[in-house]
Amino acid sequence: MKTGQAPELVTPLAIPRPTVAAARRIPRPGKEIVLSCLLLLLLIMGWEIIVRLRGIPPLIVPAPTVVWESLLTHTRSGFLIRHLGVTLAEILLGFAAGGLFGIGLGMGVALSPLLRGVLHPYVIASQAMPKLALAPIFVMWFGFGLLPKVIITALIAFFPLFENTVTGLNEVDRDARELFRALGASPWQTLRWLRLPNAAPYIVAGLRVAMVLSIVGAVVAEYVGANRGLGALIISSQGMLDTPLMFAVFVVLLVLGVVLYQVVVLLERACLARRYRA
Amino acid sequence: MTAKIEARGIFKVFETPSEPVQALRAVDLSAQPGEFVALVGESGCGKTTLLRILAGLVLPTQGEVWIDGTPLRGPSQHIGMVFQRPVLLPWRTAAENVLLPAQVRGLPLAEASLDARSLLESMGLGDFLDRFPRHLSGGMQQRVAIARALLLQPSILLMDEPFGALDAITREQMHLDLLNVWSARRPTLLFVTHDIAEAVFLADRVVLLSPRPGTVRQVFQVPLRRPRLPDHRFSGEFAAACRDVKHAMQGNGRGQG
Ligand SMILES: Nc1ncnc2c1ncn2[C@@H]1O[C@H](COP(=O)(O)OP(=O)(O)OP(=O)(O)O)[C@@H](O)[C@H]1O
Ligand SMILES: [Mg+2]
Repeated sequence: MKTGQAPELVTPLAIPRPTVAAARRIPRPGKEIVLSCLLLLLLIMGWEIIVRLRGIPPLIVPAPTVVWESLLTHTRSGFLIRHLGVTLAEILLGFAAGGLFGIGLGMGVALSPLLRGVLHPYVIASQAMPKLALAPIFVMWFGFGLLPKVIITALIAFFPLFENTVTGLNEVDRDARELFRALGASPWQTLRWLRLPNAAPYIVAGLRVAMVLSIVGAVVAEYVGANRGLGALIISSQGMLDTPLMFAVFVVLLVLGVVLYQVVVLLERACLARRYRA
Repeated sequence: MTAKIEARGIFKVFETPSEPVQALRAVDLSAQPGEFVALVGESGCGKTTLLRILAGLVLPTQGEVWIDGTPLRGPSQHIGMVFQRPVLLPWRTAAENVLLPAQVRGLPLAEASLDARSLLESMGLGDFLDRFPRHLSGGMQQRVAIARALLLQPSILLMDEPFGALDAITREQMHLDLLNVWSARRPTLLFVTHDIAEAVFLADRVVLLSPRPGTVRQVFQVPLRRPRLPDHRFSGEFAAACRDVKHAMQGNGRGQG
């Protein structure tokens, strides 16, 4: 009986393995990038062709070539760069402030059940409150400058980091906790050698989310009572009926978003290098 | 001679939402210095609970644990522990994992690093010092866990089904390696398992626990000579010893049914 069954057991296990390995090898990264670029080119060409054939006015949808021209003109004059600088400052300051505060408070809440109990309802309530709705009152309090936008961006960046810090510090393998107890580790040692390293990937993932939200926060905050920044530029180009400029700002925002996201991803790689090292 | 570790009249009741669970009742257990004691019993009979009490990780509801004649008040540097899973920190290399107990106790790391290295070398992991756990096989990971438990040269080593997750071939090799480190360092070893053959092959004494509530049913002296060799598994004495334990365990099952 047993000897008869053995080959049956071996064969189905042995076959799928090479197939899986082979399937993983097929998509070469170089090929993917080339295809992605081709698709982008195709989409832009399609856009240009449709706009021209249909004769859609630039006020509604400008053709890519028109957007490009506007982008070049306003970049050369330094106009776009100035506004980009303002928005970038708001994003980075808000992200840093909200992030530090989120990580700090998250650590406090994770380490102190008392603090957790006291603050929990407030954190939930502050999260349920749409922070962008506060923009008008912040303008009344803090004026039209950088500060109200930085505050809104910070409020938005706070939550993902707070949440992920708490989760990362608390969701520690039970057996690992028991190991630390058996070794006689102090709470501080457990934090340093077990809970913080355990939280690192959670916190870095929170940074990624917070970065994306910070960009949204800064730009939308500028919609409300700002005279500088990319968001303000979108509003004023609407007023001037300069749709190509608006699209040029969209392109700048797109590039900004991708660049900032990649910076955080690189940071993540550096932080977690030990785990990913082969 | 005072026992190295002794548990007297241990009761443990867990308060659960539905009803209290009596995990252990009137357990007496002792081990002499350098002795190898195996604890066997069916799943759920309180082996892990007893081991955690002996490690000072949980307080018994009643009763007391004595180490070298002094009562145990919590986790002790003289006790090393190996769990069923290796429980290695994934962000540390094998050598860094072994070093953890020295760091926690604030010992000089240069010296401890040398100890960690020679421990891993003695367990056949000399080429894997700087590997991360996910690049090690299950057996290798458990060796690292054993090396970590031995780093501070504990006089007592507690092991909770340490080889339960390993395949039979790896497990037999682990048995020989464990017996080697044990005879070289001679800690008092309490080894939990539900595998009777494993208990008989390794231990000087086999303590059989019976379930619900967990209590010591019978203690067997293993008649095999040391050093234990793989061929002992095929001897008549070995088979007889296993059979005695098995019968005692089943007798208990029928008594319950
Ligand atoms: N923290 C706990 N709370 C409530 N009940 C518990 C707790 N720990 C263990 N028990 C109960 O105590 C009994 C003994 O559990 P224990 O884990 O010690 O058994 P075991 O012999 O180690 O089993 P296994 O061989 O499956 O590991 C079980 O009935 C279990 O449900
Ligand atoms: Mg158990």
